Amino acid sequence: MALRELPFRAASALCREVRPVVHAARPSLRRNASAGASHDVEHSSSLTVPPLSKDLVQNFDPIARSRQRRQGKKQLPASRYQYRSPKYYRGPLHPHQPPPPSDPASREFQPGPFSLPRLEQTYQSTIAADILTLTYQHYPPGYRPPKVENRLREWTGASPYFKNRPLRGPRGRGEELRLLHEPRTFRNIPKISRVTVHSFVPEAQENSAHLHVAGMILQAVSNVRATAHKARHNVVGWGLREGKYVAVTSHMEREDAHHFMAKLVDVVLPRIKEWKGVPGSSGDGAGNMSFGLTPQQVALFPEIEVNYDAYPPKMIPGMHITIHTDATNNKDARLLLQAIGLPFYGKLND
Amino acid sequence: MNLSAFRPVLRPANASKYPIANALRPNAALQRTVTPATASPFSSTSRMMKRKKGKGPGTDPRITAIRYHLSHPLTPRPLHFSRLRALRHWTIHRAWLLFLRRRRWAEERDLERQYQAMRSACEHLRLMDANGNLVSEAEAGGQGADPGVIGSGGKEVGRLYRAAMLKRGVWGSVPVEYARAQVDFPGREGWNHAWTRD
Repeated sequence: MALRELPFRAASALCREVRPVVHAARPSLRRNASAGASHDVEHSSSLTVPPLSKDLVQNFDPIARSRQRRQGKKQLPASRYQYRSPKYYRGPLHPHQPPPPSDPASREFQPGPFSLPRLEQTYQSTIAADILTLTYQHYPPGYRPPKVENRLREWTGASPYFKNRPLRGPRGRGEELRLLHEPRTFRNIPKISRVTVHSFVPEAQENSAHLHVAGMILQAVSNVRATAHKARHNVVGWGLREGKYVAVTSHMEREDAHHFMAKLVDVVLPRIKEWKGVPGSSGDGAGNMSFGLTPQQVALFPEIEVNYDAYPPKMIPGMHITIHTDATNNKDARLLLQAIGLPFYGKLND
Repeated sequence: MNLSAFRPVLRPANASKYPIANALRPNAALQRTVTPATASPFSSTSRMMKRKKGKGPGTDPRITAIRYHLSHPLTPRPLHFSRLRALRHWTIHRAWLLFLRRRRWAEERDLERQYQAMRSACEHLRLMDANGNLVSEAEAGGQGADPGVIGSGGKEVGRLYRAAMLKRGVWGSVPVEYARAQVDFPGREGWNHAWTRD
């Protein structure tokens, strides 16, 4: 069908050059959806097709080309799209570079998003603007924040080995270099960047069924394939043996993360009896908040509940949920999560 | 990878209870030609159950099903298109990315507009005295990072600005009633007026 239309299409494409331009701009009183909409479209669009070049038009002779092809002189290129993205990245100097992940030909390409989650829509329309208003800090024009002095300590002493050593971290055991806090602008409003679900199943060392059930439940709940993890050390108190698979995690991003959070906040958490909220001591100071759910609470997820008979009830695991946000401190992260609908209780960890 | 040993029994075995219905199947003739060695076993018990007999209870069929579906090797094949279909796909994908970028850009412009409005409003408040008149920079306070600094104009200059910059009650104060995800249509009962916080 399309092939039959082809000569007509080609002819109309050729005639387009000859047609007077006045027709296009002719004002009409009738406004159709197809005609009237063209006024709204901006003129310099990347979607317009440039006109055909002159020599292409002059050399256009389909009969001669097909005759050549029939004689076997000029074949069409192969009809299959042959490009394969390289399996491994071999460095920036390799001649065969993989396409960017946004390219459908890339191996890392993820199609989507296929839906606009309610939570994301609410965040875009309301929560982001409200957080910006709440946390706005005014600095008069011309104000320059003072330079941050050296945050890392130098090695002082007479030892010749101190020369060219990397700087030391902050003083104190377990102290880490804290993140820098930038003043709030419209560009750095905290948002949910990732959600990690983790479930620790030490019983899996004796019976791997626990690990499989936990992986399946995590996969059902999060829509992401679960990854299994081995114990790294022997811990006698917990009965851990090194090298045995004991935990499963799955990381959610973008659409999945928003769907998961909406499910958690609107469906699961309201149905937990006597749930006090997320402990206020949660938070690692870099914008990540975590809390846990017991096996009974995990069973309240709609994916588990509708198919509850498919899982052995004693093997349903508990899970830890870590919500990674773009915030650089606990306060901002907590404000975001409260706006989403996670209450906090107890002494707050600031 | 042959996973047939772990394959869960989702439907009754091949041998049907009703031989007539079995004979009516179009491939019934083909089934008869199969050699007895590879044909279905004599008993209708599945192989997993048979092997476990005498060693205690067999594996829970639910776990077998979970294991089978977790290790399922069938993944959808990658997209391989012909030339024109690939080009069409690519064009639509580029247009979709363009659309997403423009939408993101518009959202960011919205927030920027709000930010600039707040900024100019705060600047006006900072330079305003009790009568609403604009004062000079020297008379106004609030230079530097601390909004509480008072200039030569006294306490009355920029009073509203200092009040606006107080972040009292901002942190950790979002009520749980605020968190309602937006929906297309309102609920049947729009608001539960009887609800109390206890």
